[in-house]
Amino acid sequence: MFILGFLARRLAQGALIVFLVSFLIFTLLRVIPGDPVRLMVGGMAPDELVEQIAAEMGLRDPIPVQFMRYMGGVVQGDLGQSFIRPASGAAVGGAQFDDATRSERARVLTLIADTAPFTIQLALLSMFFALLVATPIGVYGGLNQGRWPDRLALYIGSLFVSLPNFWLGIVLALLLSVHLGWLPAIGYQGFAYTILPAIVLAVEIIPFILRTLTVSVAQIMRESYISAAYIRGLSRTRIIFAHALKNASVPLLNLLGVQFSMLLGGVLVVEFIFDYPGLGLLTINAVLQRDFPLIQGIAIVTSAAFVLINIIVDLVSTSIDPRLDY
Amino acid sequence: MTVETPLLEVSNLSVRAGRDPEASLILNEISFCLEARRILGVIGGGGSGKTTLARAVVNWLAPPLRVSSGEVRFRGQDILRFAPEASRSLRGKAIGYIGGDPAGALDPTLTVGTQIVEKLRAVEPDVTRQEAKERVIELLAAVRIPTPSQRFNEYPFQYSGGMMQRAMIVDALISKPELLVADSITQPLDVTVGAQILRLLRDLTEQFGTAILFISASLPTVADVSDDILVLDGGQMVELRPTAELIRAPGHPYTKKLMDELPMLWSKDLGARLKPAPAIAEPILRVSNVGKTYSISPRSGIGRARRLQAVRNASFDVFAGENFGVVGESGCGKSSLMRLLTALERPDTGTITFEGKNIFDQGAAATKAFRRRMQLVLQDPYSSLPPQASVGDIIAEPLLIHGLGGRAARRAQAMEMLREVGLPAACFDELPMTLTAGQRQRVNVARAMILEPQLLIMDETLSALDQTEQGRLLDLFERLQAQHGFTYLFISHDIAMVRRVCARVAVMYLGEVVELAQNERLFFDPGHPYSRALLSAAPTLEERRYRSEDCLLEGEPPSPIDLPPGCAFASRCPHVYETCLKRNPALTDRGNADRAACHLLTQGSAQQKDHAQ
Amino acid sequence: MEKTVEIPGTPPADDLRRLSISRRIALGAWNSLEFRIGLSVFLFMLLMAIFYPMLSDIDPTRMNVRARLIPPVFMGEGATWAHPLGTDQLGRDMLVRSLVGLRYSLLIGGATVALMLFVGCLVGLFAGYRGGLTDTLLMRITDAQLSIPMIILAIAILGVARPTIPAIIIVLGLSGWPVYARVMRSVIMAERKREFVRGATVLGASDMRIMFLLLLPLCLPPIAFVAVLDVARMMIFESVLGFLGLGVQPPTPTFGNIIADGRKYLLNAWWIATMPGIFLFLTLASLNLMGAALERSRNRVYGGIE
Repeated sequence: MFILGFLARRLAQGALIVFLVSFLIFTLLRVIPGDPVRLMVGGMAPDELVEQIAAEMGLRDPIPVQFMRYMGGVVQGDLGQSFIRPASGAAVGGAQFDDATRSERARVLTLIADTAPFTIQLALLSMFFALLVATPIGVYGGLNQGRWPDRLALYIGSLFVSLPNFWLGIVLALLLSVHLGWLPAIGYQGFAYTILPAIVLAVEIIPFILRTLTVSVAQIMRESYISAAYIRGLSRTRIIFAHALKNASVPLLNLLGVQFSMLLGGVLVVEFIFDYPGLGLLTINAVLQRDFPLIQGIAIVTSAAFVLINIIVDLVSTSIDPRLDY
Repeated sequence: MTVETPLLEVSNLSVRAGRDPEASLILNEISFCLEARRILGVIGGGGSGKTTLARAVVNWLAPPLRVSSGEVRFRGQDILRFAPEASRSLRGKAIGYIGGDPAGALDPTLTVGTQIVEKLRAVEPDVTRQEAKERVIELLAAVRIPTPSQRFNEYPFQYSGGMMQRAMIVDALISKPELLVADSITQPLDVTVGAQILRLLRDLTEQFGTAILFISASLPTVADVSDDILVLDGGQMVELRPTAELIRAPGHPYTKKLMDELPMLWSKDLGARLKPAPAIAEPILRVSNVGKTYSISPRSGIGRARRLQAVRNASFDVFAGENFGVVGESGCGKSSLMRLLTALERPDTGTITFEGKNIFDQGAAATKAFRRRMQLVLQDPYSSLPPQASVGDIIAEPLLIHGLGGRAARRAQAMEMLREVGLPAACFDELPMTLTAGQRQRVNVARAMILEPQLLIMDETLSALDQTEQGRLLDLFERLQAQHGFTYLFISHDIAMVRRVCARVAVMYLGEVVELAQNERLFFDPGHPYSRALLSAAPTLEERRYRSEDCLLEGEPPSPIDLPPGCAFASRCPHVYETCLKRNPALTDRGNADRAACHLLTQGSAQQKDHAQ
Repeated sequence: MEKTVEIPGTPPADDLRRLSISRRIALGAWNSLEFRIGLSVFLFMLLMAIFYPMLSDIDPTRMNVRARLIPPVFMGEGATWAHPLGTDQLGRDMLVRSLVGLRYSLLIGGATVALMLFVGCLVGLFAGYRGGLTDTLLMRITDAQLSIPMIILAIAILGVARPTIPAIIIVLGLSGWPVYARVMRSVIMAERKREFVRGATVLGASDMRIMFLLLLPLCLPPIAFVAVLDVARMMIFESVLGFLGLGVQPPTPTFGNIIADGRKYLLNAWWIATMPGIFLFLTLASLNLMGAALERSRNRVYGGIE
């Protein structure tokens, strides 16, 4: 009962957020200078033709009208069609104005659905790497606050967070791929292509996990129920694993929810560098090509993902710490 | 176990803060014996080392504290030399420990039952999960936790403080320990709840045959339960004698001082301090039928909002120049009432008039003017002063807010106030952090006084201070009252303090004023059973007028959310009968302007009325 | 009864306690090795960025086809002290270009964080203090802003409009303020319940007075100290934009566009892409060390260890 009420409320809030995001990005893309139709038909096309195509596509209607039309589609699961990409695959870039194949252009939803699995694979793998490295160091640092494990966590965190991801990507590609030949780097022809981007992304995530874990573990070890547990006769192992780590996992989960947008930024850049065919690369290309429907679609999908992840994070946190219910 | 070796023998125990032989000595050469089934009380003020002693006895001193010499023999073996593993299983099994922080004693993310089972199985691995659960539920019932099998599956935050302390007693006794260390266990609890817990602890340990090391800062509490008393002062053992003997003839000056400072509830020579209210005067503050309800909406945002009735139908008058007390335990609505009286919040019903004017009927300017005539001195000496401002600026700030005087005049006046409350002039430029609790409260008083208000509301102003400092501040209040003609409204949970200073007292229980009486009448002829329960639980060494066993049933105060109909005290009242559960009694006049809300007072007439219907 | 009652017991003589909270945080950080290392490196970088391009009088955009792809001095062969970090494919001096890039990076990072702090703290202050409808309204806006994938919005805006320095600062600043608003709000909500605030209200102080004279000076410094970490984050962000071609436009050198350019020459002139990265890394690491030291010091002060 509680769960249902919670879900209903959060989903309603989430829908509102997605709506706001759509409106904002829709308006922004139409208010800022730069005419996409000009880009579509090419610089050589006569102005009348630009106007004609724009009118056909409804781009000269008032923005609220355009927006309502667009949202009408979104509600039915239709995110529209790309301005630029053909249904067959590669981007056509500045198409000719007499191009008759406009109706053949790719559906935004299909483009996103095709690329999303790659990004999810990349995100999961990098999360796995990050947790693998950061959990032991962070927990150990938190248990030994002020001593060397704690400093180690601090230094690793500070150094990793100072590595610009695009630069690290280039350097690692040069070293591991070009010079040593251990890992493939550019494009995607199999799972191995995910590893190098995932490492770069993991380096970006690790400092945040380290920071949260050391602080929360150290804080929890100072709680009175921890020292009381020793007096009550529980063993140190049990206290750390059954009580301290359980409590420390809540802030870690929340971190995931809050830093989603940072993760997204990392994915974008890393995919761009490694030419990894995920959502990030799709986004950057969409922006560079001013493919408005695609940008809008991606914004809507990512904000929906954000909402869902935060709902899941809250649900899991509440099941770990029931106080959050009330 | 041989008869010759005592259960616990502590000899020449010294504890230092750090490895350095020069490090400060927390405990100095403590020695005592505790026989099986006996209760040894340890009394000491803040910083006396009593908690350190409790921890040393269970061999759990957190760095930098360490034992520098001496032994703690449990059944003849020195537990300080045990390997960590052995001392761990000893701690949980043969020695139980209950601390003074029940709310923080268990992991908030696991149910109370699971954690007690976890503890039992950690010290007795042979017990199966099912067996353990049965034992826990059985003991939960024994500590009078209602519906124990349901409570077993609840989380710590769903327990009230008193309930949690009961659960911690279960946690300590579940492994049938031979020794129980109880460190300040009633300290965070209300007196009536604390009295219930003590009663319970006595019964249970008798039943289990457990010896207790009972540690507390309150001499009456210790004297109440212990066979022998050890007095600690600054880490030194100053006295160790049988309780009756120690109370009759304290040997050490420190013990004498402790006893002298104890408030006297029943000795009659207090009258001199208490000016009776002038009968004809117009009240300076009139509270009539004031009620305040908060609605709490459920987190999920779905479902009915629940009503928390913080203040219900409160009425009383305060006359100029008198000391009026509002007394009650946590959750009785004192703080909500304070927020209403200071116009921080508006009441839902009723009116509050100050000097004849309704304090809510006016605009912002009038409210500001009202706030010049009425001031508040707050409870917590640590958070009531802005940490970044100097003492002088803090005291002068009210003048600045009300735009009074120039810079130099403000400074001079603040300096004058500083002197009046007995603070050295050197404090003027200090930050409040450098002051002691008592000094901070004086800064608070100075700040409130600088506007020369008529009425000063003292919201638990003295609760955080020790007895000695309380006495000094009360003297100060008295002097200031004589000089400036202040009216004091004391809001407190401390019945002994109220006895000392307040001419008239309102007793509150769950948002209601249940009794309104002159000091003498309240203490010698209370009209409400709750007043009597409160008096019976007040810690004192004097011969008790009211025994807690007669005045208070087991049970917790009901939640102020969605109160049941009828009298709120019915669940704990020994005199409860069916009318109490049906109708809430109104305040009934008992003559001489004393009033109480109890059906017993009107029993005859009420029954007639019932009959008539 | 005497006229004045002196209180026995001297106040705690601990000098540290006499300092205000922000001074204690700053002092705690200053006493740590990390902070001093970070500060020295940072000051060195800052002075270099300010003075070297001025003193060496080398134009970062001047091309010199004859001095193309000169390796840095530590490579030995063919290197010259005239170009300590070598030159790029157009013969431009890498050291000066990196340092000028650092100037822009610091400028944008600092200005962005100042903007974020300003907007975020103001929103958080009002939401936390006023509560009720104001709070709900402001926090919904904050949540919405937080849940918008700002990186997408940022690159979309900068990709479609022309990226100028003010545009970059505004876009990045607007994407960062919600975090500060949340932190500020929770701090204010905690402080608002403290008794001294209630005391001030009863004394008759106005809301504005309490918010800006009592609460803000108390709550802002601990937040502002840790904002150093965000300066580093925003500098990375700025260089990412530059790398994607959406930052400050060439020929003005920024870390992002230098590295993006150098990427094409990675195999035969690897230093073009890597050297500016090392510069950026050192500056960021120095900022992060200082920020981490400040943050720990703050946690210690609030955790009551000191």
